[in-house]
Amino acid sequence: MEIKDIKKQLVKMLGKDKVLTDELDLMYYSYDSSFLTKLEPGKPAAVVLPTSTEEVQKVVRFAYENDIAIVPRGAGTGETGGCIAFKGGIVLDLSTWDEIVEIDAKNMQVIVRPGVIHARLNEALAKYNLFFPPDPGSSQMCTVGGMVANNASGLRAVKYGATEQYILGLEVVLPDGNVMVTGGMNARVIKNVSGLNLTKLMVGSEGVLGIITQIRLRCWPKPKARGIAMAVYDNLDDAPETVLEVYQAGILPSGIEILDGSAIMAVNQFKPQINLPDAEAILLFEVDGNPPGVDYDGKVIAEIAGKRARSVEWATDPKRMAELWEGRSITATAAARVRADGSRIFAGEDISIPLSKIADVLRAIRALGDKYGIKVVNYGHIGDGNVHTAPVINPENPEEVEKVLQLVHDIHLLAIEMQGSTTGEHGVGAVRRQYAELEHGLAVEYMRAVKLAFDPKGIMNPEKLF
Amino acid sequence: MEFKELPPVKEQIMKCVRCGKCRSVCPVFAEIRNETAAPRGHVFMVQMLRDGIVEPDEAVAERLTSCLLCENCSVNCPSGIDIHELNAAARSYIYEKNPSLAKELVFDSLWTRPGLLRTSTKFLWGAQKTGLQSLARAIGLTKILPGDLPRAERMLTDVPVRSGRSMISEVNRARGERKYRVGYFLGCATDMFYPSVARATVDILTWHGCEVIVPKDIKCCGQPHIANGKMETARSLAAHNVKIFNAYDLDYIVTDCASCSAALSHKNMEFLLGGLNIEDQAKTFSEKVLDLTLFLTEVLDIEVPNPEMARKVKVTWHDPCHLANAQGVKQAPRELLKRIPGVEFIEMANANSCCGGSGTYCLTHHDLSMKILDKKMDRAMETGANKLVTCCPSCMMQLKFGARRHHWNAEVVHIVDLLSPFYKVLPKKAASQ
Ligand SMILES: Cc1cc2nc3c(=O)[nH]c(=O)nc-3n(C[C@H](O)[C@H](O)[C@H](O)COP(=O)(O)OP(=O)(O)OC[C@H]3O[C@@H](n4cnc5c(N)ncnc54)[C@H](O)[C@@H]3O)c2cc1C
Ligand code: SF4
Ligand code: SF4
Repeated sequence: MEIKDIKKQLVKMLGKDKVLTDELDLMYYSYDSSFLTKLEPGKPAAVVLPTSTEEVQKVVRFAYENDIAIVPRGAGTGETGGCIAFKGGIVLDLSTWDEIVEIDAKNMQVIVRPGVIHARLNEALAKYNLFFPPDPGSSQMCTVGGMVANNASGLRAVKYGATEQYILGLEVVLPDGNVMVTGGMNARVIKNVSGLNLTKLMVGSEGVLGIITQIRLRCWPKPKARGIAMAVYDNLDDAPETVLEVYQAGILPSGIEILDGSAIMAVNQFKPQINLPDAEAILLFEVDGNPPGVDYDGKVIAEIAGKRARSVEWATDPKRMAELWEGRSITATAAARVRADGSRIFAGEDISIPLSKIADVLRAIRALGDKYGIKVVNYGHIGDGNVHTAPVINPENPEEVEKVLQLVHDIHLLAIEMQGSTTGEHGVGAVRRQYAELEHGLAVEYMRAVKLAFDPKGIMNPEKLF
Repeated sequence: MEFKELPPVKEQIMKCVRCGKCRSVCPVFAEIRNETAAPRGHVFMVQMLRDGIVEPDEAVAERLTSCLLCENCSVNCPSGIDIHELNAAARSYIYEKNPSLAKELVFDSLWTRPGLLRTSTKFLWGAQKTGLQSLARAIGLTKILPGDLPRAERMLTDVPVRSGRSMISEVNRARGERKYRVGYFLGCATDMFYPSVARATVDILTWHGCEVIVPKDIKCCGQPHIANGKMETARSLAAHNVKIFNAYDLDYIVTDCASCSAALSHKNMEFLLGGLNIEDQAKTFSEKVLDLTLFLTEVLDIEVPNPEMARKVKVTWHDPCHLANAQGVKQAPRELLKRIPGVEFIEMANANSCCGGSGTYCLTHHDLSMKILDKKMDRAMETGANKLVTCCPSCMMQLKFGARRHHWNAEVVHIVDLLSPFYKVLPKKAASQ
């Protein structure tokens, strides 16, 4: 089918307000946050903005009948090119479908449509003293649908885990246009082991199996108290030791984050009022729970950290805590500030490594940066071994681009070699699928078989994940 | 300077990580909801322009001008990109290449000549009684207002008969001992639409010991020109104002209009005049510029006189984008409100979100502007205040319209209007001792 006919049909189906067909408008859908899409943008043939299951079904059926690729998209904050139609096709921008269908406070559940922004959901839940614990740095902008598709986690995964732990059931439009309901989507239970766990299969499937149109999420009671301990290190190598010792002391913080010296500088430049200390690294330990427990945990952490750290700041003042947490959240982008004529890039940014090897890996990444002559900022969720590496380059300088691509490749290989993974939370998308065989071996064949069972025509977000 | 060589275009585009943080703070994106209206989308499109992948044409201009230039994205961009400056630079580039698209008559001829502008405002005053259509055509408003003129007419505020200029002298002596010699930048909109604000500003300043100079030939600060892609005109206006103020030996240059203080600020002067031979003079000028709220609280550290004039009033504050975002001034107006006897201050949610007025935006993008305004009014009304206070004439016009639209009986006033009654009492005796 010719592109102009595709556009015409879509407009006929959804009306012109919900379809973008102008070539100029389509260009805006050629990127997400990945570095890959800066190098290789992918313009779709059309973009639709559906706001009902029926509308999604109509579009998917049409695509199925005409062998047109379909690419679901949330807010486009993914770092893997996952929501990009690299070879054309129809992008479904689900971000405008942002209804919170029901908050079932008594059963501690909420039903949402895919476009709800994470932070808005938690604002709504707070009125019921509930929260959806995964806390990505992109909370203000990413959609819950995107989080489910990527199995996102974030700053509080240490204690609360990833999105998958909170999904009770899903409504999914399959590649042939049929609607599948999984797990407890239509029930109101918390425990449910009935049937093959298709919910878990869909979570983290990155849009290659179907389009998530409704989500039943489990919520948790909001903790009564919080506190943040900031430990300041003159020697970065000392930080991972503290993390291990805190666990050994029987303390499970809600989050443990690290910022290296450059990350600290970047945050201070963007928000001087946060005023992080000048150091080789800082660790932020967040603890939550009941007030006495929080105080106790804070004291123990301060004691342990004090053995190696230059100083420890214990904050319970909401304003200071918000500043410190914000400081960490903005590091991802603020990292660009360490070089006047440079930008951080999202590539090789998400390796996950064993806790016991963090210090070795951080050292090795620094050495790789030196080898290629590229400034590398390190920060991330050290409490679960998820290190975010931010190479800072001039992305418009071809030599630097070539070098950084080699650096990123080496970082991914390093992770695998260290018994880690190329991605802890951001996912695979288009940028890491080359490592699938290396990471999963035979299992990749079974992944392909699953994909084929769901999507025999291969129209659903093609050439992603594996 | 070549478009590609402009500092923001040359240095900042590549800093965009496309993280999307700016999507979450953009009032226009919150309404349009697709990537074409996202601030990062604007950065992307400016890059496409720079790289010659798209043409500098009307279609691109249309996308870029959906932006209010409220700067909320820029202050929230962790990468430090002045997204609104990129956008303004691109508009200017497009208009330069397509003179027919530019809003020539109004912005080039009218706004640069205060006399003419004042005359047409008077004309406007008369025309409001009879309908705007013919007048708008006559002064070229039809070129910038697509279609629906009756709607635009509803937006316009009543135009007073006398201008601010006609009520104040060039030199206004300090009451009592002179502390500072202050230049007052009388903005066009204050002059034409809110002359009593201009009068009150001068009264307050003189009361507190300032000799106030209002140079005769002040021209527009250039803010409307920047927004409408008339960068060259904005530059020549800035250069003119720099020269006429620098001709006096002033300690400070103060304005009661947030848009003017932003346009005259060091950052904007650098954007407009950086690299030109007037750069140093512009620096001397802009280093003296302060918004009135800052000047009253931080430099003069005023105590409001005649507290017996106090009347109990519940107020809430709207942060003009040009004050809170462009200049980072948030505390000063709140501090000033606290110092006004009788005032009970109630903070509204998201006080710094744009009102959707943005100069001519409320006319050129009426429907969008109204949606943004409605959100603002909801939050203002939630406070239960009986006065909505701000310090930007463009915001005032929009908010007044909002209050009418929502049948809210609170009054929309300039912060100076709240202060003014305290200065209308007896001449200050103590100061002359
Ligand atoms: C500054 C920054 C900080 C970040 N911090 C974190 C972090 O701490 N933790 C973390 O896990 N991630 C983080 N991310 C990554 C990203 O925000 C998450 O992966 C997020 O879940 C993506 O959501 P999105 O709505 O932007 O999805 P998109 O980027 O639009 O899409 C992501 C993937 O999901 C698919 N998809 C989207 N919606 C649907 C749907 N309804 N049905 C099926 N498939 C769908 C897309 O096809 C694509 O493959 C960060 C990103 C940025 C830019
Ligand atoms: S916040 Fe800044 S870096 Fe992030 S997408 Fe917007 S412009 Fe780009
Ligand atoms: S300046 Fe304001 S309206 Fe324009 S893109 Fe930025 S946030 Fe949006």
